[in-house]
Amino acid sequence: MTLAGAALVALFVLVFAALVFGALIVAGRTVRRTREARRARLAKPARRLLLAVAAGDDDPEQIEELVRLPDDVWLAVESNAIALLGKVRGEAHTALVDVFERRGAAWRARSQLKRRDPVARALAAEVLGNLGRKDALLPLCDLLGDPDADVRVVAARSLGRIGDAGATQPLLATLPSRRPVPAHVVATALTRLGTAAQGALLAALDDPRAPVRACAAEVLGLIGAVGATVRVESALRADPVVEVRVAAARTLGRLGTRTALAPLVDALEPQHPAVLRAEAAKALGELGAVSAAPALTGLLADAEYAVAHNAARSLLRLGNAGRAALVAAEHRAHVRPRHSADPDEEPDPEVLLGAAHAREALAAAELDDKRKQTVP
Amino acid sequence: MTAILVADDDMDIRDLVAFKLEQAGYEVVAVDNGLAALTAATENPPDLVVLDVMMPGMSGIDVCRQLRQEQGTKALPIILLTARAQEGDVEVGFGAGADDYIVKPFSPRELVSRVEAVLARMRT
Repeated sequence: MTLAGAALVALFVLVFAALVFGALIVAGRTVRRTREARRARLAKPARRLLLAVAAGDDDPEQIEELVRLPDDVWLAVESNAIALLGKVRGEAHTALVDVFERRGAAWRARSQLKRRDPVARALAAEVLGNLGRKDALLPLCDLLGDPDADVRVVAARSLGRIGDAGATQPLLATLPSRRPVPAHVVATALTRLGTAAQGALLAALDDPRAPVRACAAEVLGLIGAVGATVRVESALRADPVVEVRVAAARTLGRLGTRTALAPLVDALEPQHPAVLRAEAAKALGELGAVSAAPALTGLLADAEYAVAHNAARSLLRLGNAGRAALVAAEHRAHVRPRHSADPDEEPDPEVLLGAAHAREALAAAELDDKRKQTVP
Repeated sequence: MTAILVADDDMDIRDLVAFKLEQAGYEVVAVDNGLAALTAATENPPDLVVLDVMMPGMSGIDVCRQLRQEQGTKALPIILLTARAQEGDVEVGFGAGADDYIVKPFSPRELVSRVEAVLARMRT
């Protein structure tokens, strides 16, 4: 075969392959559109029924009608029903749970937890979580070690929804594991467990793994565990890992107890890492203790931007005393240094730096005040 | 008839809120993003707006702030509907000028009660 002949054959093969590929794409799209149209046709009457039940009308006939829907019709609205299940509460949620339970959704979901398809596993975990099935605690805890990261996240969220404090340890244990769940997902799930998780969270502050201690410290603040203040104060003072101390500082600000003032002021000292000092400065603002004003004022000229910035913003949160300190710091930039013979001598650079942070905070407060005035 | 504008990018929630409010006797206009909500509210001001906070493009908070700036809509009752339940989020919502703040998961019946309460407050 000549070179020209070979090229012609290759060109023919390429054109043929392109045509086949194009035909496959068109066929695929047509099948998908047909399926979607069929699904929409089936879903239309059922969707209104679903909305009526999700609206919390408490009409037994409508619930019964939804329970008796043929499987293909139910499948067409099931994804909407699952979505609504997680977004409503009260009688609407109870009615939807009733429908799911009577359609055997919990049993079906449990059987799907070990499917090869990660989407099926995630969907099953979500259904069990939304149904609040406490008997699904163990299988969902197992899913926290799933090879698929999305499945692990759905399992963690579902455990939060179920609200059984027995999930506390397994959720915390995922943080330092080979297959971790993001810390914010774990923290949100633990927060949903509420005060029932407090004991396990307090114990977790002694865990040898730093991510576990940091998350436990964070969540104790989010659930408002005022009884944990002393233990969190110890973590702020003595934990060897800065991330844990930062979380402890944040939590003490959230808890807002008076005893937190001293350890937070101590954490402002320059020998501590800047990230901890900045968080302590912020937490003192949350705490709202006017007696913290001198310590915060002293930080306005701090070499670390975040520390000085947070100190200025926290002073604002202390009310009149804090604002007065900021105004005074700003004013010092316009005062000629005492005993200076030179009338043009600039104030100390530290004074200028402190004044700049004070000015920025006061300007932000002024903007905020103006914006509030526009709100009727 | 009292007109309510509902803005939520989540179709299920949007349809549910619209369904429940229509059932309660309100006339509902539903849109799926913040910009459409702002346009609808300024062009034809409703009696009340229910805004989702997390919407693509323009958030419910931004819409709320914008509505408070406009002469024709600055007194419009606004209810924020959101999954963000932290104290700071609620503070931002009210700071933006919202009249009420409902956290998801929500009770549709409670939503109607809140709408009625806000409307009654506005009338007095």
